[in-house]
Amino acid sequence: MADVQELTVWSMMLRLLLAVAAGGLIGLERETKHRAAGFRTYMLVALGATVTMLLAQYLSWMVEGPWLHLAKNVVPTDVSRLGAQVINGVGFLGAGTIIVTHRQEIQGLTTAAGLWASACMGLAIGVGFYTCLITGVVLILLCMVLFSPMENAIHATSRSMNIYVELTGIGDLGALTHGIKAQGCTIYDLELNKSGEGGARRLSAIYTVSLQKKQEHAELLARLSAVDGVVSIEEN
Amino acid sequence: MLHVFDFMREMTTLSVVLRMLLAFLCGGVIGLEREYKHRPAGFRTHILICLGAAMTTLTSQYLYLTMQMYTDVARLGAQVIAGIGFIGAGTIVVTRQRRVKGLTTAAGMWTSAIIGLACGAGYVECAIFATLLVMAAEMLLIRLEYRVASGAREMNIYVEYTEADRMTEILQGLRAEKVRITNLEISRRVEGDRRYSAVVSLGNLRGIPAERLLSRLEAMDDVLLVEEM
Repeated sequence: MADVQELTVWSMMLRLLLAVAAGGLIGLERETKHRAAGFRTYMLVALGATVTMLLAQYLSWMVEGPWLHLAKNVVPTDVSRLGAQVINGVGFLGAGTIIVTHRQEIQGLTTAAGLWASACMGLAIGVGFYTCLITGVVLILLCMVLFSPMENAIHATSRSMNIYVELTGIGDLGALTHGIKAQGCTIYDLELNKSGEGGARRLSAIYTVSLQKKQEHAELLARLSAVDGVVSIEEN
Repeated sequence: MLHVFDFMREMTTLSVVLRMLLAFLCGGVIGLEREYKHRPAGFRTHILICLGAAMTTLTSQYLYLTMQMYTDVARLGAQVIAGIGFIGAGTIVVTRQRRVKGLTTAAGMWTSAIIGLACGAGYVECAIFATLLVMAAEMLLIRLEYRVASGAREMNIYVEYTEADRMTEILQGLRAEKVRITNLEISRRVEGDRRYSAVVSLGNLRGIPAERLLSRLEAMDDVLLVEEM
Protein backbone atom coordinates (compact mmCIF):
# COMPACT_ATOMS: atom_id res chain seq x y z
CA MET A 1 0.00 0.00 0.00
CA ALA A 2 2.92 2.30 0.75
CA ASP A 3 4.00 1.93 -2.83
CA VAL A 4 0.88 3.43 -4.26
CA GLN A 5 0.96 6.26 -1.75
CA GLU A 6 4.35 7.40 -2.92
CA LEU A 7 4.96 8.85 -6.29
CA THR A 8 6.65 6.09 -8.20
CA VAL A 9 6.29 5.37 -11.89
CA TRP A 10 3.86 2.59 -11.09
CA SER A 11 1.67 4.62 -8.81
CA MET A 12 1.67 7.42 -11.39
CA MET A 13 0.43 5.02 -14.06
CA LEU A 14 -2.12 3.52 -11.70
CA ARG A 15 -3.53 6.91 -10.85
CA LEU A 16 -3.80 7.95 -14.47
CA LEU A 17 -5.62 4.75 -15.30
CA LEU A 18 -7.96 5.26 -12.36
CA ALA A 19 -8.68 8.79 -13.58
CA VAL A 20 -9.61 7.49 -17.02
CA ALA A 21 -11.79 4.78 -15.49
CA ALA A 22 -13.54 7.04 -13.00
CA GLY A 23 -14.08 9.85 -15.48
CA GLY A 24 -15.33 7.38 -18.03
CA LEU A 25 -17.79 5.80 -15.63
CA ILE A 26 -19.32 9.15 -14.78
CA GLY A 27 -19.32 10.22 -18.41
CA LEU A 28 -21.07 7.02 -19.47
CA GLU A 29 -24.27 8.10 -17.81
CA ARG A 30 -24.14 11.48 -19.51
CA GLU A 31 -23.44 9.88 -22.87
CA THR A 32 -26.62 7.84 -22.74
CA LYS A 33 -28.55 11.08 -22.48
CA HIS A 34 -26.75 12.56 -25.49
CA ARG A 35 -25.41 15.51 -23.61
CA ALA A 36 -22.84 17.84 -25.09
CA ALA A 37 -20.23 16.69 -22.63
CA GLY A 38 -20.04 12.96 -23.00
CA PHE A 39 -17.85 10.09 -22.09
CA ARG A 40 -14.59 11.53 -23.44
CA THR A 41 -15.05 15.00 -22.00
CA TYR A 42 -15.41 13.67 -18.47
CA MET A 43 -12.45 11.40 -18.99
CA LEU A 44 -10.30 14.24 -20.28
CA VAL A 45 -11.20 16.55 -17.43
CA ALA A 46 -10.48 13.93 -14.77
CA LEU A 47 -7.24 13.01 -16.51
CA GLY A 48 -6.14 16.62 -16.75
CA ALA A 49 -6.78 17.23 -13.09
CA THR A 50 -4.86 14.08 -12.13
CA VAL A 51 -1.87 15.04 -14.27
CA THR A 52 -1.93 18.48 -12.65
CA MET A 53 -1.62 17.06 -9.15
CA LEU A 54 0.98 14.53 -10.24
CA LEU A 55 2.95 17.39 -11.75
CA ALA A 56 2.56 19.44 -8.59
CA GLN A 57 3.92 16.62 -6.47
CA TYR A 58 6.76 16.08 -8.93
CA LEU A 59 7.70 19.76 -8.73
CA SER A 60 7.58 19.73 -4.93
CA TRP A 61 9.81 16.69 -4.89
CA MET A 62 12.28 18.23 -7.30
CA VAL A 63 12.46 21.56 -5.50
CA GLU A 64 13.17 19.87 -2.18
CA GLY A 65 15.50 17.31 -3.73
CA PRO A 66 17.64 17.53 -6.86
CA TRP A 67 17.13 21.25 -7.40
CA LEU A 68 17.77 22.29 -3.82
CA HIS A 69 21.45 22.91 -4.33
CA LEU A 70 21.16 24.17 -7.89
CA ALA A 71 18.99 27.19 -7.25
CA LYS A 72 20.33 30.49 -6.02
CA ASN A 73 17.09 31.44 -4.25
CA VAL A 74 15.37 28.44 -2.75
CA VAL A 75 11.67 29.09 -2.94
CA PRO A 76 9.47 26.31 -1.65
CA THR A 77 6.56 25.62 -3.93
CA ASP A 78 3.04 25.11 -2.72
CA VAL A 79 1.80 21.80 -4.00
CA SER A 80 -1.80 23.07 -4.16
CA ARG A 81 -1.09 25.93 -6.47
CA LEU A 82 -1.55 24.17 -9.78
CA GLY A 83 -4.53 22.19 -8.55
CA ALA A 84 -6.29 25.33 -7.39
CA GLN A 85 -6.33 26.72 -10.91
CA VAL A 86 -7.83 23.50 -12.21
CA ILE A 87 -10.91 24.25 -10.15
CA ASN A 88 -11.06 27.75 -11.53
CA GLY A 89 -10.47 26.69 -15.09
CA VAL A 90 -13.06 23.95 -15.19
CA GLY A 91 -15.49 26.47 -13.73
CA PHE A 92 -14.85 28.54 -16.85
CA LEU A 93 -15.39 25.54 -19.07
CA GLY A 94 -18.60 24.73 -17.27
CA ALA A 95 -19.88 28.26 -17.63
CA GLY A 96 -19.35 27.95 -21.35
CA THR A 97 -21.58 24.90 -21.62
CA ILE A 98 -24.54 26.61 -20.04
CA ILE A 99 -27.09 27.69 -22.59
CA VAL A 100 -30.05 29.97 -22.11
CA THR A 101 -32.58 29.19 -24.81
CA HIS A 102 -34.84 31.75 -26.42
CA ARG A 103 -37.54 30.49 -24.08
CA GLN A 104 -35.35 31.55 -21.18
CA GLU A 105 -34.79 27.97 -20.20
CA ILE A 106 -31.40 27.22 -18.69
CA GLN A 107 -29.77 24.05 -19.94
CA GLY A 108 -26.51 22.39 -19.14
CA LEU A 109 -26.20 23.15 -15.44
CA THR A 110 -26.01 19.53 -14.34
CA THR A 111 -23.41 18.88 -17.02
CA ALA A 112 -21.30 21.81 -15.83
CA ALA A 113 -21.57 20.69 -12.21
CA GLY A 114 -20.71 17.13 -13.18
CA LEU A 115 -17.62 18.19 -15.12
CA TRP A 116 -16.51 20.26 -12.19
CA ALA A 117 -17.03 17.41 -9.72
CA SER A 118 -15.11 15.15 -12.09
CA ALA A 119 -12.18 17.58 -12.02
CA CYS A 120 -12.23 17.76 -8.22
CA MET A 121 -12.19 13.98 -8.14
CA GLY A 122 -9.22 14.00 -10.49
CA LEU A 123 -7.34 16.13 -8.00
CA ALA A 124 -7.94 13.54 -5.31
CA ILE A 125 -6.78 10.73 -7.61
CA GLY A 126 -3.64 12.64 -8.48
CA VAL A 127 -2.49 12.82 -4.89
CA GLY A 128 -3.31 9.20 -4.24
CA PHE A 129 -6.29 9.82 -2.00
CA TYR A 130 -7.97 6.54 -2.87
CA THR A 131 -10.57 6.64 -0.10
CA CYS A 132 -11.91 9.92 -1.41
CA LEU A 133 -11.84 8.59 -4.96
CA ILE A 134 -13.88 5.49 -4.24
CA THR A 135 -16.42 7.31 -2.10
CA GLY A 136 -16.56 10.09 -4.67
CA VAL A 137 -17.22 7.80 -7.62
CA VAL A 138 -19.90 5.91 -5.72
CA LEU A 139 -21.69 9.06 -4.58
CA ILE A 140 -21.45 10.83 -7.95
CA LEU A 141 -22.79 7.78 -9.79
CA LEU A 142 -25.55 7.45 -7.22
CA CYS A 143 -26.47 11.05 -7.81
CA MET A 144 -26.35 10.95 -11.60
CA VAL A 145 -28.01 7.61 -12.15
CA LEU A 146 -30.44 7.06 -9.31
CA PHE A 147 -31.63 10.57 -8.77
CA SER A 148 -32.44 11.34 -12.37
CA PRO A 149 -35.84 9.60 -12.33
CA MET A 150 -36.47 11.19 -8.96
CA GLU A 151 -35.91 14.62 -10.45
CA ASN A 152 -38.34 13.87 -13.26
CA ALA A 153 -40.96 12.69 -10.81
CA ILE A 154 -40.68 15.87 -8.75
CA HIS A 155 -40.91 17.99 -11.87
CA ALA A 156 -44.04 16.33 -13.15
CA THR A 157 -46.16 17.21 -10.13
CA SER A 158 -44.46 20.16 -8.49
CA ARG A 159 -46.47 23.16 -7.40
CA SER A 160 -44.41 25.62 -9.42
CA MET A 161 -44.45 25.79 -13.17
CA ASN A 162 -43.15 27.89 -16.01
CA ILE A 163 -45.41 27.92 -19.04
CA TYR A 164 -44.15 29.04 -22.42
CA VAL A 165 -46.95 29.99 -24.83
CA GLU A 166 -47.00 31.26 -28.35
CA LEU A 167 -50.08 33.26 -29.28
CA THR A 168 -51.39 34.78 -32.48
CA GLY A 169 -51.64 38.22 -30.98
CA ILE A 170 -52.11 40.39 -27.95
CA GLY A 171 -55.83 39.98 -28.29
CA ASP A 172 -55.63 36.40 -27.07
CA LEU A 173 -53.83 37.22 -23.87
CA GLY A 174 -57.02 37.98 -22.00
CA ALA A 175 -58.63 34.63 -22.70
CA LEU A 176 -55.46 32.77 -21.87
CA THR A 177 -54.84 34.64 -18.62
CA HIS A 178 -58.41 33.97 -17.63
CA GLY A 179 -58.02 30.32 -18.57
CA ILE A 180 -54.89 29.96 -16.47
CA LYS A 181 -56.57 31.48 -13.46
CA ALA A 182 -59.58 29.24 -14.00
CA GLN A 183 -57.32 26.21 -13.69
CA GLY A 184 -56.50 27.26 -10.17
CA CYS A 185 -53.14 28.88 -10.81
CA THR A 186 -51.71 31.99 -9.27
CA ILE A 187 -49.69 34.01 -11.72
CA TYR A 188 -46.50 35.26 -10.16
CA ASP A 189 -44.84 36.65 -13.20
CA LEU A 190 -45.46 37.27 -16.85
CA GLU A 191 -43.01 38.12 -19.56
CA LEU A 192 -43.97 39.02 -23.10
CA ASN A 193 -41.77 38.84 -26.14
CA LYS A 194 -42.31 39.53 -29.77
CA SER A 195 -40.46 37.52 -32.32
CA GLY A 196 -40.32 37.26 -36.06
CA GLU A 197 -41.09 39.99 -38.59
CA GLY A 198 -43.90 40.90 -40.94
CA GLY A 199 -46.56 38.30 -41.38
CA ALA A 200 -44.87 35.77 -39.15
CA ARG A 201 -44.94 37.93 -36.04
CA ARG A 202 -45.54 35.87 -33.00
CA LEU A 203 -46.22 36.92 -29.51
CA SER A 204 -44.67 34.68 -26.89
CA ALA A 205 -45.36 34.80 -23.19
CA ILE A 206 -43.74 33.10 -20.24
CA TYR A 207 -45.98 32.66 -17.23
CA THR A 208 -44.54 31.78 -13.85
CA VAL A 209 -47.38 30.17 -11.99
CA SER A 210 -48.05 28.41 -8.76
CA LEU A 211 -50.63 25.65 -8.64
CA GLN A 212 -53.16 25.70 -5.84
CA LYS A 213 -53.55 21.97 -5.83
CA LYS A 214 -51.31 19.21 -7.03
CA GLN A 215 -52.01 18.23 -10.59
CA GLU A 216 -50.22 16.69 -13.52
CA HIS A 217 -48.52 19.39 -15.54
CA ALA A 218 -49.18 17.64 -18.80
CA GLU A 219 -52.93 17.61 -18.18
CA LEU A 220 -52.93 21.27 -17.29
CA LEU A 221 -51.14 22.13 -20.50
CA ALA A 222 -53.54 20.00 -22.51
CA ARG A 223 -56.51 21.87 -21.10
CA LEU A 224 -54.92 25.26 -21.73
CA SER A 225 -54.08 24.40 -25.32
CA ALA A 226 -57.81 24.49 -26.06
CA VAL A 227 -57.92 28.25 -25.46
CA ASP A 228 -58.38 30.35 -28.57
CA GLY A 229 -55.29 31.89 -30.05
CA VAL A 230 -52.82 29.51 -28.52
CA VAL A 231 -50.42 28.41 -31.23
CA SER A 232 -48.16 26.34 -29.02
CA ILE A 233 -47.86 25.74 -25.34
CA GLU A 234 -45.18 23.95 -23.39
CA GLU A 235 -43.51 23.80 -20.06
CA ASN A 236 -40.20 25.48 -19.53
CA MET B 1 -15.73 23.86 18.40
CA LEU B 2 -17.86 21.05 19.69
CA HIS B 3 -15.54 18.27 20.81
CA VAL B 4 -18.07 15.62 19.96
CA PHE B 5 -17.15 16.24 16.33
CA ASP B 6 -13.40 15.87 16.82
CA PHE B 7 -13.35 12.49 15.09
CA MET B 8 -14.57 14.22 11.92
CA ARG B 9 -11.45 16.31 11.77
CA GLU B 10 -8.96 13.44 11.69
CA MET B 11 -7.67 11.81 8.55
CA THR B 12 -9.18 8.38 9.05
CA THR B 13 -11.14 6.46 6.44
CA LEU B 14 -14.33 6.71 8.46
CA SER B 15 -13.97 10.46 8.88
CA VAL B 16 -13.39 10.96 5.16
CA VAL B 17 -16.41 8.88 4.17
CA LEU B 18 -18.62 10.59 6.75
CA ARG B 19 -17.59 14.03 5.59
CA MET B 20 -18.38 13.21 2.01
CA LEU B 21 -21.73 11.78 3.04
CA LEU B 22 -22.45 14.95 4.96
CA ALA B 23 -21.65 17.04 1.89
CA PHE B 24 -23.92 14.79 -0.15
CA LEU B 25 -26.71 15.28 2.38
CA CYS B 26 -26.33 19.05 2.72
CA GLY B 27 -26.26 19.51 -1.03
CA GLY B 28 -29.18 17.15 -1.41
CA VAL B 29 -31.30 18.94 1.15
CA ILE B 30 -30.74 22.35 -0.42
CA GLY B 31 -31.15 20.92 -3.91
CA LEU B 32 -34.37 19.11 -3.09
CA GLU B 33 -36.00 22.30 -2.01
CA ARG B 34 -34.80 24.03 -5.20
CA GLU B 35 -36.10 21.15 -7.27
CA TYR B 36 -39.57 21.46 -5.79
CA LYS B 37 -39.63 25.11 -6.76
CA HIS B 38 -38.72 24.05 -10.26
CA ARG B 39 -35.51 26.02 -10.41
CA PRO B 40 -32.94 25.36 -13.14
CA ALA B 41 -30.28 24.35 -10.63
CA GLY B 42 -31.89 21.31 -9.13
CA PHE B 43 -31.24 18.41 -6.92
CA ARG B 44 -28.33 16.82 -8.74
CA THR B 45 -26.53 20.06 -9.52
CA HIS B 46 -26.38 21.05 -5.87
CA ILE B 47 -25.22 17.62 -4.77
CA LEU B 48 -22.44 17.54 -7.38
CA ILE B 49 -21.22 20.99 -6.46
CA CYS B 50 -21.29 20.34 -2.72
CA LEU B 51 -19.51 17.01 -3.18
CA GLY B 52 -16.83 18.42 -5.47
CA ALA B 53 -16.10 21.23 -3.03
CA ALA B 54 -15.80 18.75 -0.16
CA MET B 55 -13.33 16.71 -2.19
CA THR B 56 -11.09 19.74 -2.61
CA THR B 57 -10.80 20.53 1.09
CA LEU B 58 -10.31 16.83 1.83
CA THR B 59 -7.53 16.67 -0.74
CA SER B 60 -5.86 19.73 0.81
CA GLN B 61 -5.93 18.12 4.22
CA TYR B 62 -4.60 14.88 2.79
CA LEU B 63 -1.65 16.71 1.27
CA TYR B 64 -0.96 18.61 4.45
CA LEU B 65 -1.48 15.95 7.10
CA THR B 66 -1.05 12.54 5.49
CA MET B 67 1.56 13.37 2.88
CA GLN B 68 3.19 16.01 5.07
CA MET B 69 3.79 18.31 2.15
CA TYR B 70 4.48 22.00 2.08
CA THR B 71 1.15 23.57 1.24
CA ASP B 72 -1.41 26.17 2.19
CA VAL B 73 -4.42 24.14 3.19
CA ALA B 74 -6.84 26.86 2.08
CA ARG B 75 -5.60 27.25 -1.47
CA LEU B 76 -7.73 24.68 -3.26
CA GLY B 77 -10.83 25.84 -1.43
CA ALA B 78 -10.19 29.42 -2.42
CA GLN B 79 -10.46 28.59 -6.10
CA VAL B 80 -13.70 26.73 -5.53
CA ILE B 81 -15.26 30.02 -4.54
CA ALA B 82 -14.05 31.63 -7.76
CA GLY B 83 -14.82 28.68 -10.00
CA ILE B 84 -18.41 28.25 -8.89
CA GLY B 85 -18.81 31.98 -9.30
CA PHE B 86 -18.07 31.46 -12.99
CA ILE B 87 -20.53 28.63 -13.34
CA GLY B 88 -23.14 30.75 -11.59
CA ALA B 89 -22.46 33.64 -13.93
CA GLY B 90 -23.34 31.36 -16.81
CA THR B 91 -26.88 31.01 -15.53
CA ILE B 92 -27.62 34.70 -15.23
CA VAL B 93 -29.63 36.12 -18.07
CA VAL B 94 -30.86 39.66 -18.79
CA THR B 95 -34.27 39.57 -20.47
CA ARG B 96 -35.71 41.86 -23.11
CA GLN B 97 -37.47 43.83 -20.43
CA ARG B 98 -34.06 44.43 -18.89
CA ARG B 99 -34.77 42.24 -15.91
CA VAL B 100 -32.05 40.14 -14.41
CA LYS B 101 -33.03 36.53 -13.85
CA GLY B 102 -31.10 33.68 -12.35
CA LEU B 103 -29.32 35.51 -9.58
CA THR B 104 -30.88 33.48 -6.80
CA THR B 105 -30.00 30.27 -8.62
CA ALA B 106 -26.37 31.35 -8.93
CA ALA B 107 -26.20 32.48 -5.32
CA GLY B 108 -27.70 29.19 -4.16
CA MET B 109 -25.11 27.16 -6.02
CA TRP B 110 -22.33 29.32 -4.67
CA THR B 111 -23.50 28.94 -1.09
CA SER B 112 -23.94 25.23 -1.61
CA ALA B 113 -20.31 24.95 -2.73
CA ILE B 114 -19.05 26.84 0.29
CA ILE B 115 -21.07 24.64 2.63
CA GLY B 116 -19.40 21.74 0.85
CA LEU B 117 -16.00 23.26 1.61
CA ALA B 118 -16.92 23.36 5.30
CA CYS B 119 -18.11 19.74 5.24
CA GLY B 120 -14.90 18.54 3.65
CA ALA B 121 -12.72 20.45 6.07
CA GLY B 122 -14.50 18.93 9.06
CA TYR B 123 -16.20 22.15 10.17
CA VAL B 124 -19.37 20.17 10.73
CA GLU B 125 -21.10 22.57 13.11
CA CYS B 126 -21.01 25.44 10.66
CA ALA B 127 -22.00 23.32 7.67
CA ILE B 128 -25.06 21.82 9.37
CA PHE B 129 -26.24 25.08 10.86
CA ALA B 130 -25.77 26.97 7.60
CA THR B 131 -27.75 24.32 5.71
CA LEU B 132 -30.56 24.58 8.25
CA LEU B 133 -30.60 28.35 7.86
CA VAL B 134 -30.76 28.12 4.07
CA MET B 135 -33.71 25.75 4.37
CA ALA B 136 -35.44 27.93 6.96
CA ALA B 137 -34.97 31.02 4.83
CA GLU B 138 -36.41 29.30 1.77
CA MET B 139 -39.41 27.88 3.58
CA LEU B 140 -40.26 31.19 5.22
CA LEU B 141 -40.04 32.85 1.84
CA ILE B 142 -42.86 30.65 0.56
CA ARG B 143 -45.17 32.40 2.98
CA LEU B 144 -43.83 35.82 2.08
CA GLU B 145 -43.87 35.18 -1.63
CA TYR B 146 -47.58 35.59 -2.16
CA ARG B 147 -47.73 38.59 0.07
CA VAL B 148 -44.97 40.23 -1.91
CA ALA B 149 -46.60 39.33 -5.21
CA SER B 150 -49.99 40.80 -4.32
CA GLY B 151 -48.51 43.96 -2.83
CA ALA B 152 -46.19 44.28 -5.76
CA ARG B 153 -44.97 47.51 -7.10
CA GLU B 154 -45.53 46.40 -10.65
CA MET B 155 -48.49 45.03 -12.50
CA ASN B 156 -49.70 44.25 -16.00
CA ILE B 157 -53.27 44.96 -17.07
CA TYR B 158 -54.90 43.58 -20.17
CA VAL B 159 -57.72 45.72 -21.62
CA GLU B 160 -60.06 45.19 -24.54
CA TYR B 161 -62.01 48.12 -25.93
CA THR B 162 -63.87 49.15 -29.10
CA GLU B 163 -63.06 52.81 -29.68
CA ALA B 164 -59.51 53.96 -30.35
CA ASP B 165 -59.90 57.16 -28.28
CA ARG B 166 -60.79 55.14 -25.24
CA MET B 167 -57.08 54.53 -24.65
CA THR B 168 -56.47 58.20 -23.86
CA GLU B 169 -59.14 58.08 -21.17
CA ILE B 170 -57.72 54.86 -19.80
CA LEU B 171 -54.27 56.38 -19.56
CA GLN B 172 -55.64 59.53 -17.93
CA GLY B 173 -57.55 57.45 -15.44
CA LEU B 174 -54.43 55.50 -14.53
CA ARG B 175 -52.30 58.60 -14.22
CA ALA B 176 -54.86 60.13 -11.89
CA GLU B 177 -54.15 57.24 -9.53
CA LYS B 178 -50.51 58.31 -9.56
CA VAL B 179 -49.25 55.11 -11.15
CA ARG B 180 -46.44 55.13 -13.62
CA ILE B 181 -47.03 53.61 -17.04
CA THR B 182 -43.86 51.77 -17.94
CA ASN B 183 -44.97 50.07 -21.14
CA LEU B 184 -47.92 50.01 -23.49
CA GLU B 185 -48.67 47.66 -26.35
CA ILE B 186 -51.77 47.97 -28.47
CA SER B 187 -52.99 45.68 -31.17
CA ARG B 188 -56.03 45.88 -33.37
CA ARG B 189 -58.05 42.97 -34.50
CA VAL B 190 -57.72 42.57 -38.24
CA GLU B 191 -60.99 40.94 -39.16
CA GLY B 192 -64.41 40.95 -37.60
CA ASP B 193 -65.77 43.79 -35.47
CA ARG B 194 -63.40 46.52 -34.47
CA ARG B 195 -61.59 45.64 -31.31
CA TYR B 196 -58.44 46.89 -29.69
CA SER B 197 -56.41 44.95 -27.20
CA ALA B 198 -53.75 46.52 -25.08
CA VAL B 199 -51.29 45.45 -22.41
CA VAL B 200 -50.45 48.23 -20.00
CA SER B 201 -47.47 47.74 -17.70
CA LEU B 202 -47.72 49.75 -14.54
CA GLY B 203 -45.20 50.68 -11.94
CA ASN B 204 -45.13 52.54 -8.67
CA LEU B 205 -48.18 50.81 -7.30
CA ARG B 206 -47.26 51.04 -3.67
CA GLY B 207 -50.33 51.46 -1.51
CA ILE B 208 -52.80 51.36 -4.35
CA PRO B 209 -55.04 48.29 -4.34
CA ALA B 210 -55.24 46.59 -7.69
CA GLU B 211 -59.02 46.26 -7.47
CA ARG B 212 -59.46 50.00 -7.47
CA LEU B 213 -57.58 50.37 -10.73
CA LEU B 214 -59.40 47.48 -12.35
CA SER B 215 -62.87 48.61 -11.33
CA ARG B 216 -62.13 52.15 -12.48
CA LEU B 217 -61.26 50.87 -15.92
CA GLU B 218 -64.18 48.47 -16.05
CA ALA B 219 -66.57 51.32 -15.37
CA MET B 220 -65.53 53.14 -18.55
CA ASP B 221 -67.67 53.01 -21.67
CA ASP B 222 -66.60 50.80 -24.54
CA VAL B 223 -64.30 48.78 -22.35
CA LEU B 224 -65.07 45.13 -22.92
CA LEU B 225 -62.63 43.31 -20.71
CA VAL B 226 -60.12 44.12 -18.02
CA GLU B 227 -57.83 41.45 -16.69
CA GLU B 228 -54.96 41.56 -14.25
CA MET B 229 -51.93 39.59 -15.36
